[in-house]
Amino acid sequence: MTSAIQTDHLAKKFRRVEALQGLTLDVPQAAVYALVGPNGAGKTTAIKILMNIFRSSSGRAQVLGIDSSHIRGRHLESIGYVSENQEMPEWMTVGALLSYLRPFYPAWDHALEAALIKQFELPLDRKLRHLSRGMRMKAALASSLAYHPRLIVLDEPFTGLDPLVRDELIHGLLDRAEESTIFVSSHDLAEIETFASHVAYLEAGKLRFSEELSSLVERFREVELTFDVPPALPQPSPENWMQLSAAAAVVRFTESRFDPDRTTAEVRRVFPEPRNIAFSPMSLRSIFLAMAKSGRNSA
Amino acid sequence: MKVNQVLHIFRKDIRHLWREIAASIALLVAFAWLDIRSWSRPYGAVATGISVLLSGEMLPGLVDFLLPVSWIFLIVRIVQGESLVGDRQFWVTRPYDWKQLLAAKALFVLAFVNLPFFLVDAFLLAYASFHPVHYIVGLLWLQLMWIFLLFVWLTALATVSNSIAQLLFALLLIVLDVIGASALSSIIQKSEFSASVNWWWGLFVTGVAVTVILVQYSRRRTALSRWLIVGLCALLTLISVASSRATPDRSSIVRQYPLSAGNEPVELGLMRNDKHEGQLIPIYNNEVLIDLPVSVSGISKDSFLRLDGTIVTLTTSNGFRWDSEWKANSDWLFPDQKTAHLGFQVKQNVFDQLRSGPVTADFFLAFTLYEDKRRQEFIVPNGEFRLPDTGLCKTENQYSRGIHCLAPLRKPAFLLVSSDKANSTCLPASSQTPAPRGVFLHEFVQGQPGPAEMGISPVRPFDIVFSDWDWSARRPVSPGICPGTPLTLSNPEVAGHRGVELQMNNVSLDEFRERNPAGP
Repeated sequence: MTSAIQTDHLAKKFRRVEALQGLTLDVPQAAVYALVGPNGAGKTTAIKILMNIFRSSSGRAQVLGIDSSHIRGRHLESIGYVSENQEMPEWMTVGALLSYLRPFYPAWDHALEAALIKQFELPLDRKLRHLSRGMRMKAALASSLAYHPRLIVLDEPFTGLDPLVRDELIHGLLDRAEESTIFVSSHDLAEIETFASHVAYLEAGKLRFSEELSSLVERFREVELTFDVPPALPQPSPENWMQLSAAAAVVRFTESRFDPDRTTAEVRRVFPEPRNIAFSPMSLRSIFLAMAKSGRNSA
Repeated sequence: MKVNQVLHIFRKDIRHLWREIAASIALLVAFAWLDIRSWSRPYGAVATGISVLLSGEMLPGLVDFLLPVSWIFLIVRIVQGESLVGDRQFWVTRPYDWKQLLAAKALFVLAFVNLPFFLVDAFLLAYASFHPVHYIVGLLWLQLMWIFLLFVWLTALATVSNSIAQLLFALLLIVLDVIGASALSSIIQKSEFSASVNWWWGLFVTGVAVTVILVQYSRRRTALSRWLIVGLCALLTLISVASSRATPDRSSIVRQYPLSAGNEPVELGLMRNDKHEGQLIPIYNNEVLIDLPVSVSGISKDSFLRLDGTIVTLTTSNGFRWDSEWKANSDWLFPDQKTAHLGFQVKQNVFDQLRSGPVTADFFLAFTLYEDKRRQEFIVPNGEFRLPDTGLCKTENQYSRGIHCLAPLRKPAFLLVSSDKANSTCLPASSQTPAPRGVFLHEFVQGQPGPAEMGISPVRPFDIVFSDWDWSARRPVSPGICPGTPLTLSNPEVAGHRGVELQMNNVSLDEFRERNPAGP
């Protein structure tokens, strides 16, 4: 088994709303896989199908080699799940929660539990209902990491958290990255960029692309061309150029298949006499904005 | 080490709900205390006015209501502690085994609802001088009735709702459905014939509840489970309304109550009423009440009859014919009885057509025959005494002049107490005329079938009081059962069902319109 998660044309319909349309993705083992997209894109729906909280309308999904619709009971001993809107047993203290969950997991690591408590500074004697949002997420994460899960699934874990707490959570996750596959959904691209190895973009229930973050960042560039006289823009422009625009004698576009030699040759083919060609790397946020605005699939 | 999830979850639930458990048990103890106090209260001893508050008259009723409510609350809380509705529950992504989770919840209910209930009932029996060991089967039966008549259904509803508010709303809808079905049935009802409810219907209904519980715990298919419940309610409503509309034909009634020509269990003859005493009962709801006095004879000495229902056909000389539907009844006929009354209602417009001349009245009377088994003579002693196959009794002279009894788990299945009015050893009231000899009074005590009657207390108080009418004083009186009064006790058993046909010719309906009683 090389994939921790595999989906094949996964779809989900809620009455007339198609929350997911033909989602096909492959999450390699040991990856830190980020599923990103705007609010309402279908990220939470996809995760809940993977966790067998929802049933899919069509398509298949496998999690750790098991059909997701059969995930229950003992299968969950290897999966950790944390969600921003999960209803925790508010009447329990943090310590009581950990003590209660401990016997459910044969692989529970007491030393790791103690380390997580210290790392997250969890107040063991305080009830969950009296914890701040960030502390509650840390308690949930600790209770989902202490048994060395093979797969950690996080649904919008950073929403509403301050940067310090986010940083603590990310560090807590990255410490486990070697032994686990991490699947995280978020619409916070800045955070994802700092630790994800793979990224998939979901929009209106459809998967726009899915690839390694390094190759994604590598193939996108902002290109700026400077001319002596304002040039005519080509019609049509090359497919891999997005948001082609001109302001006086400066032409700008986003290149989605960047290669220094190939891109330079293509620029010179389209614009024979540019005075200057400049390539700038793009942040994940800029890449997604460009894709969203162009309405094109860069894959 | 693999955990025993049943005990682990059970312990967690105790930690979570210990306050609710304590409140429920406290209510149970209060119930027991109030129940013991109520045993000594005889029939007729009711406080009024300010005494209601001062005597705590309302308290037993309040606790009787609150105790099952506390059980309902506890069961709903325990089920919804790991809610099966929704997609945000913390536990659904943890390695719970659904069978062990369900077992943990069942263990909780057994431990903190059924077991305390059972123990308190055993204590109450012992306190009332009934050894609990002798009534183990009945005590367990009582627990099973509560489980299958209430707890299972409550659990099913709790599994398809995610809050107490939602569950209460579901209960409200079910109650409204029952009220609606009942109202509709009463509006469209064509006859009073009611088919008996087969035991397998109860099994089916319970089966649906169990199915809902299993579907929810194993698969959390909430929409499907809710539809199962809605479907069952709709089916029961439909059947209830349809059966109220159904009119069994005469042949099917005759099959249930076969005729035995020449061997009728009773002989009845119309008695003419020339005196026309008493005022006519006014026409109400456009219906005229007809009352035919009949002579009664021929009932075997060791038996008696219950008139279950009648069908009347009236025919005029010019061929006009009117048929009543089955009319339910519950009059009793005893061997010592000389007269009875056959009554029925006729719509006014039909009456107006029939009154012009004499009619022929054909009756089909459906009787259940009872054999008086295990007859024994019993002289009521002083003080407390054991009534055979019944319980502990004592005479009560302050309010009703009868016998006040406590029975373990259920009243007698069928106890008939008879006595000659003239043999009462109670001092008659000054205005009461002495009773002639050979006029018997009968009082029934009928309990529910099974080892125990549904309820909370295992001790069933009941009273045996003879009721009679004093014609001279025009008021009800009780001839009284006092120490020394001889009684005849028996346990009647159903000996069969019989139909009797009776024809009365030249009946003038005007002559037999029902009147208020004027006296003997």
